[in-house]
Amino acid sequence: MAEREKIIKIIFDVIDELNRQLAKEQRLKKSLETVLVGENGNLDSLGLVNFIVALEEKIEDQFKTTIILFDDPLVLSENSPLRTIGTLADYISKKLEKS
Amino acid sequence: MLEKKYKGLLISDFTIDNLAGLLNNDDELPIVETSTIPFGQVMPVLLDENHQCWRKKYDFALVWTRPQAVIKQFEDFLCYKKINIEEMLKQVDEYCSALSNLSQRVRFCFVPSWVIPLYHRGFGMLETKPSIGLTNILMQINLRLFENVSHLPNIYTLDAQRWVALVGKKAFNPKLWYMGKIAFSNEVFIEAVKDIKASIRGLTGQAKKLIIVDLDDTLWGGIVGDDGWENLRLGGHDYIGEAYVDFQRALKSLTNRGILLGIVSKNEEKIALEAIEKHPEMVLKLDDFAGWKINWNDKAQNIVELVAELNLGLQSVCFLDDNPVERARIREALPEVFVPELPQDKTLYASTLLNLRCFDKPSLSSEDFIRTQMYISERKRKDLQKKIGSVSDWLKTLDIKVKIEPLKTSNLERVIQLLNKTNQMNLTTRRMTETELLEWVRQKKRKIWTLRVLDKFGDYGLTGILSVEINGNKGRIVDFVLSCRVMGRKVEETMVNIAYKYAKSAGVDELYAKYIPTKKNKPCFDFWKKSGFTYNEDTNIFFWDMKKNYPLPDCVKVELND
Repeated sequence: MAEREKIIKIIFDVIDELNRQLAKEQRLKKSLETVLVGENGNLDSLGLVNFIVALEEKIEDQFKTTIILFDDPLVLSENSPLRTIGTLADYISKKLEKS
Repeated sequence: MLEKKYKGLLISDFTIDNLAGLLNNDDELPIVETSTIPFGQVMPVLLDENHQCWRKKYDFALVWTRPQAVIKQFEDFLCYKKINIEEMLKQVDEYCSALSNLSQRVRFCFVPSWVIPLYHRGFGMLETKPSIGLTNILMQINLRLFENVSHLPNIYTLDAQRWVALVGKKAFNPKLWYMGKIAFSNEVFIEAVKDIKASIRGLTGQAKKLIIVDLDDTLWGGIVGDDGWENLRLGGHDYIGEAYVDFQRALKSLTNRGILLGIVSKNEEKIALEAIEKHPEMVLKLDDFAGWKINWNDKAQNIVELVAELNLGLQSVCFLDDNPVERARIREALPEVFVPELPQDKTLYASTLLNLRCFDKPSLSSEDFIRTQMYISERKRKDLQKKIGSVSDWLKTLDIKVKIEPLKTSNLERVIQLLNKTNQMNLTTRRMTETELLEWVRQKKRKIWTLRVLDKFGDYGLTGILSVEINGNKGRIVDFVLSCRVMGRKVEETMVNIAYKYAKSAGVDELYAKYIPTKKNKPCFDFWKKSGFTYNEDTNIFFWDMKKNYPLPDCVKVELND
């Protein structure tokens, strides 16, 4: 559980960084319900690239493990774990348990 | 000037939207609003003035390319193919020729230097060997870029190598490149934002001109009033003492490029000055300071008074004080003054000072190097005035000479500097680039003069600009610009006399000056109200009937080198 909290903090840190370069109306809210991709998703393609790269870097710094989010075909599916911040945190948590 | 929002166009061969976003959201003045060009359009945008990107008007452009994207020979060289360095440099020249088109389309253009990812180790130990190593070749093409751009008006290269060095390993992330064609990490873009903004401030006359320093625990360790000058921590076999000496050296080095120093300190003046004069490790001497206010009064008030005495504005000041409470006080009381944070660790003082971006300027004139001396001469003039009493008697003792010269290559830089940063004695506050001014002067029936002012204490330098335009039977004074360091010395009246003589030779019936008010040029209005010209309040125009002579002040000698 503590690990999930750490992951959520990392995701929120990445959002803070990303918001520095986004126009006001495009900035992401730091909430588990925030929709990242898919219908009503807040990230465009460039935003997603920036988000994923920064996230993978911070996960590696914190947990000393490399995870690659785009490798998994599930990520690009309709039930993508990138759908919301909450689902993303769960997905990363599971990935870290397996590694 | 800084309240205006500057519109910029970012031109790049890589995805530069991250930089655009960071620039647009950055709170530090000036505020900018940037757009980017479509991907893969660098050369069309540079070469085609009718490209859709130019439908909007921009204040500035940034052209940031990877060398391999615009210099074909360099792309080959990155693959270790055999190259011809002369051919490569020719391609650099062609690229710079394309860049030169931007001089006409924007007020200023920034071109970051070329860098390659740090993981490119190239030939290893042969890297610096001429015409072999990547490092060497990259240096050569950058040097060619810098030299070519230095001849282009309004275009400035920025040091991207420094941004990359500051960020280190994280400067390049291959994942960002492969996924989004983003050539640099955001940490590099953040450094770029700071330098771009510093450059715009420099170009719009907002560079800081005066550093005001505190004394105790800022220029030396300890409290001189309590400890005595002999016990101050300064120099010696003491790492903190050495840090203070280096901080003073860094301050002194800045005076060599025209930045003035002043002191505002809560101390007994006599005790503080004695420390400066007598401590054997003091690098800074009294003659390094343009002025000081050392007393027990409020520092904010002291800063205001000192700045007024030096004929500068608060927006010209950078204030350095070790005490965070004093820093906060000045930030609150005097928001125009720049008050950087100083670290608690004194060993970081010199490096913090040398890293400040607030002094960036687009050019240096010979006057920058003698500015402190000019202010010391001014102190001596004021001492003389106190002795003599009457201003008009005092002016006669100064032996004021005004040398009039035309605009030429050797004074153009200084003229542009003066035109763009003078606020108080400025009739129309026209801000122009070199290209714009030269274009204006080229037109018939327009004349511009530069004025150099000297007196028996020294040379004030090129401090005045006068321009007149003849339209039919009227002569209009367009530019009437005078540095505040020579205001009130009858140079203003001398300038009007020059304009009058020119108008007379052109046979006009009337000479006029239209005053355009700004927040800062009331002193100019006050002069014209006393000038003898007739004032029309509705149009803000001052008229002179050419049937009357406009005399030259008797305390001024004019040397015309027309």
